[in-house]
Amino acid sequence: MKTIERLLLENKAWAQEHLAVDPGFLSKLAIERTCEIFWIGCSDSRVHADEITNSEPGRIFVHRNIANSVISTDINLLSALEYAVDELRVRHIVVCGHYECGGVRAALRKAHPGQSLLNKWLKHIKDTYRLHRAELDALATDRERQHRLVELNVIEQIHNLSQTSTIQRAWAGRQGPELHGWVYGLEDGIIREIAHLDAESPLDPLYEFDLGGGL
Amino acid sequence: MKPFERLLLENKAWAEEKHLQEPEFFERMSQDQKPDFLWIGCADSRVPAEIIVNAQPGEIFVHRNIANQVITTDFNSLSVLQYAVDVLKVDHVIVCGHYNCGGVKAALNKQNANLVLVNKWLMHLKDIYRLHQKDIEGFHTDKDKANRLVELNVIEQVRKLTHTSIIQQAWREENRPVLHGWVYALEDGKIKQLIMLPPDSPIESIYQYTDALTS
Repeated sequence: MKTIERLLLENKAWAQEHLAVDPGFLSKLAIERTCEIFWIGCSDSRVHADEITNSEPGRIFVHRNIANSVISTDINLLSALEYAVDELRVRHIVVCGHYECGGVRAALRKAHPGQSLLNKWLKHIKDTYRLHRAELDALATDRERQHRLVELNVIEQIHNLSQTSTIQRAWAGRQGPELHGWVYGLEDGIIREIAHLDAESPLDPLYEFDLGGGL
Repeated sequence: MKPFERLLLENKAWAEEKHLQEPEFFERMSQDQKPDFLWIGCADSRVPAEIIVNAQPGEIFVHRNIANQVITTDFNSLSVLQYAVDVLKVDHVIVCGHYNCGGVKAALNKQNANLVLVNKWLMHLKDIYRLHQKDIEGFHTDKDKANRLVELNVIEQVRKLTHTSIIQQAWREENRPVLHGWVYALEDGKIKQLIMLPPDSPIESIYQYTDALTS
């Protein structure tokens, strides 16, 4: 088991190693530069955004929460989205879920009364289940249902992104960013793209902003 | 090649390499996670949590938002905290800020009228400035002022953790987790400890929950 001191020691080792290989490495990073990808992923300790994509520091702007959720009242994620789209002007937004997601599994069970905050957060996944109940209930096993709900949840979050004023305004103004729905398999380490939306994708008129007014 | 295609290719390469190095790696990863640490860090692309402390997948549960904040009305970070403390039973919670933080620098400037959501998120940083105005104004350059606010922000977020019912209950009933406030320097890649609060650290009385919480 790693102690907290070991993390700090590992940090020193990491910094020394990187400086030995490329002495300019950190000074390059100290200068702010644009990154092209915004990653919305799960907090799960097994799904490291940067590591599983072999990304060097500076490449991906990262938000991670329980079950990679995009919720229309969540200022935490929405402000990160606004910063990524309007300030960093990222070209791609990735929502990356993963099979065996504890949040999705919990959402399929009865809620635990002691976890009052978490329950509210996971309620949105229950709503996704309800929306796709016919398809999910037709599956033979709990595991298949969980896996499919992981996928449907990712697809739902991509659509939630497309329903924000931040994305709709950016699509109207600069034809970007592209939205990608990915699922990571813990069993083989491979990411698969399961959904994709861009400025050309049709929007449900119910969720369209009237951008003509300038606001 | 588009940036997102490169990520997918790199992911395949990473998965193959991991499998070669340790054939049982992904089998191990498919087991439930048992991380010891919750990391609350900045979304900044240059501060990838696990990479800078050489952590293996499975070791750190991660939440990243703009300027590593813990806000009492934010269901996103509080759900992560509840899951990490009550379900995963982590022993340590780390808030890790970094010098040269874009969010902190923005909070020291006038608000950007185009970033309506980011402004609201950064308002909490302005409040920390106001609380420590004398201390911060004691520094001469804008850079030093911003870096001091980075440190005070980390300390403040660690204190805010102690104001949550989640931490108070876990301290009282299970004598964990230890809370750590760290700051990462982009220039040399090193992490510095700013504050550590073990269970039973004094909490200002107005923030204490009544004993009735423990039931």
